[in-house]
Amino acid sequence: MSGSMTIGPDRWLAATLLVFLLAGCGTKQVLVQSEFPPPVMNKLPLTIGVWYDEEFANHEFFDEAAGRAETSWLVNTGQAQVQLWDTLLKGMFRDVVYMNGKPGPGQMNPVVDAVLLPAVDELQYAIPAHTNVKVYEIWMRYRLQLVTTGGAPIADWTMPAYGKTPTAFMQSDEGAVRLAAIVALRDAGAHFASTFTSIPDVAQWLASLPRAGDAARRRVQP
Amino acid sequence: MSLQRLAIAACLLPGLVACVNSTVDQMVFNTPGAGIGDASVVILGRRHASDYETEPEFIRCVGNHISSRDKSIGVVGEQEFLDALYPWFEPRTAPLRPADLERLLEHRDVARAFTTMQTRYMIWIDGSTVRNDSAGSMTCGIGPGGAGCFGFGTWSNDANYEATIWDFSKRAEVGRISTTASGQSYMPAVVVPIPIIAPVQGTACDSIGDQLLEFLSAEY
Repeated sequence: MSGSMTIGPDRWLAATLLVFLLAGCGTKQVLVQSEFPPPVMNKLPLTIGVWYDEEFANHEFFDEAAGRAETSWLVNTGQAQVQLWDTLLKGMFRDVVYMNGKPGPGQMNPVVDAVLLPAVDELQYAIPAHTNVKVYEIWMRYRLQLVTTGGAPIADWTMPAYGKTPTAFMQSDEGAVRLAAIVALRDAGAHFASTFTSIPDVAQWLASLPRAGDAARRRVQP
Repeated sequence: MSLQRLAIAACLLPGLVACVNSTVDQMVFNTPGAGIGDASVVILGRRHASDYETEPEFIRCVGNHISSRDKSIGVVGEQEFLDALYPWFEPRTAPLRPADLERLLEHRDVARAFTTMQTRYMIWIDGSTVRNDSAGSMTCGIGPGGAGCFGFGTWSNDANYEATIWDFSKRAEVGRISTTASGQSYMPAVVVPIPIIAPVQGTACDSIGDQLLEFLSAEY
């Protein structure tokens, strides 16, 4: 037995309208992906270890809609975070080594001068519908820890990063938030690269290094 | 009116543009008499303000305006330049005064990148185009017999940009150009909306581009 079903134009129209209505109710998802340029700077003569914990490597931000008129947002930055910090650290230090596990007593890890543990403490976003300003904004606060391979703290500090992008013709909210997040990530890299050696505890640690301290101080940017 | 005339009218109407008023102020300290030769120029947007952002497409427009009218002038793309010198020209780290360039050149690789690009002039553009004073209303409907709109809308756009020219070799500011442009756009709708747009940003781009050409080009 064979047969065919014909759907009339009125049903197509109704289905199309339903799709548009439902589209307004869903969560807006943004997957941030980008290539980041390596930093152009004199490398510090250090072997730095890096450990990305699960939360950082899969970092996502979810903002649930407060009312029916609003939309929920899910911004996934984990992949881009790892991409940025990999590129940044390889451009800043002589050697970068990935740790086998989170540094701590009893944890077997390669020998390095110090291990950096980046984490995203907080992420906020703003879109023109919230602020009446024609820019999309992303603000992040990082918590950065520099520790020994045994897990002893060397330095612990927070670092803000900010990115914004203007509204543009035919640009979706998701596209604009993605661009703002990329600008914020670039800003994070710029902030870290330009201030790392002047963090008081880091400067003190660099000065205490017997073999690399003097060279590092000579080569840091002003 | 015949169908043919209606079709001709429909084709011509989108080509309508509204008027734009534009003013340019120029303050130049030291113009290169014979142009910039083989050197290149980079045009960058200032992005420090919290409530607006110099549009990347405006920066591209000015760059295209210059390179299309004088093909001997090499214009380095903004993103290409920012990537090649990351992280020193991000909003957080960008030099605010020509003297700050000296500090950047202490980095061996930064100095090498500048030499490779042969950048003679760095032009910073700061400003934006904003929409003001919207008025009117328009209603659109869709039914089994078709769709259409009826109403009238109008709005004004204001563009305000300032370009600051730095001579990279002298580490000095050598010129400053500012332009303002404003225009009123209209959108009447009788079944079909007919946009009569004032090309405010485009006019500002042409104005600032022409002035920069007078500065940079030996032919203008």
